[in-house]
Amino acid sequence: MKEFDLDSLSREMPYKMPEHFMDEMTERVISQISRERKRHSEHRLYAWFAGAASVAAVAVLLLHPFGGSLNVPDYDSISQCASIDEVFQNMSSDELGLYSMMTNYYGD
Amino acid sequence: MSKRDPKDSMNSQATLSVSDDSIAQMLCDDSRVEQAVRLIMKKYGEQLYWHIRRMVVAHDDAQDVLQETMINVYKYRSTYSNEFPLSSWIYKIATNESLKLLKSKSVGMVSVDDLGDALKETVRDEAGPDADETLVLLQEAIALLPTKQKMVFNLRYYDEKSYEEIHQIVGDSVNTLKTNYHYAVEKIKNYITEHQL
Repeated sequence: MKEFDLDSLSREMPYKMPEHFMDEMTERVISQISRERKRHSEHRLYAWFAGAASVAAVAVLLLHPFGGSLNVPDYDSISQCASIDEVFQNMSSDELGLYSMMTNYYGD
Repeated sequence: MSKRDPKDSMNSQATLSVSDDSIAQMLCDDSRVEQAVRLIMKKYGEQLYWHIRRMVVAHDDAQDVLQETMINVYKYRSTYSNEFPLSSWIYKIATNESLKLLKSKSVGMVSVDDLGDALKETVRDEAGPDADETLVLLQEAIALLPTKQKMVFNLRYYDEKSYEEIHQIVGDSVNTLKTNYHYAVEKIKNYITEHQL
């Protein structure tokens, strides 16, 4: 049997490429790349905003720990108040008489 | 048949004369990346399409793989180093994408090489009734080759790549590539000799 000579064959393919295929493929690739780029830039923008918001939150916490401007009671000044016994000791006899009269009238 | 505008021909010539280095630089420049992709499609698109089609056989698959190849060229453009020619880098991506598709089709089989018979049938379907019988037999013989031999044969025989370029694309040593090519040629010759009328 005679051996087949590969070099005698043309380098053609038995298939065809559809007409305008390369132009259509180029446009398809370009439009997909445009979408990728848009998505990427949006993602970068979100990442930037998220980063900026985090930095701002940390800065607020560092500058005003637990919200310094809120109306939180001043426990130090409360502890400095006189005790009830001290108040009674400093009352005059008229004040004490008035106090006992009111407690009798309204009850304890 | 419509006549081609001489300007188109000049544009094509201008595209082909743009160096790979210039295209690689454009790829890294965000404002020129789309222009770079257009140039690659113009310069290498057809070669890539046929390289892929010889691997996956069906046009629809070749279309998907070519699109994925170009998207990967865009996505991974920062990983390209001019240590290798741009064309070898793109061929490597195209080859990997072709293998990925073949692997996805060979689910449940021992290896991608088991796809041979299915690919051989696709050759007949894609070629159509008017195709040259010897050319169809050649494609059938290629379809039945183990994947590595198929890649090496196609790159050497059709794309006329040097063994050094094939090494950049496939990764094996030059001696291994030469052995693969030799075995591929022997198998193809035997197949065509046996099946030719």
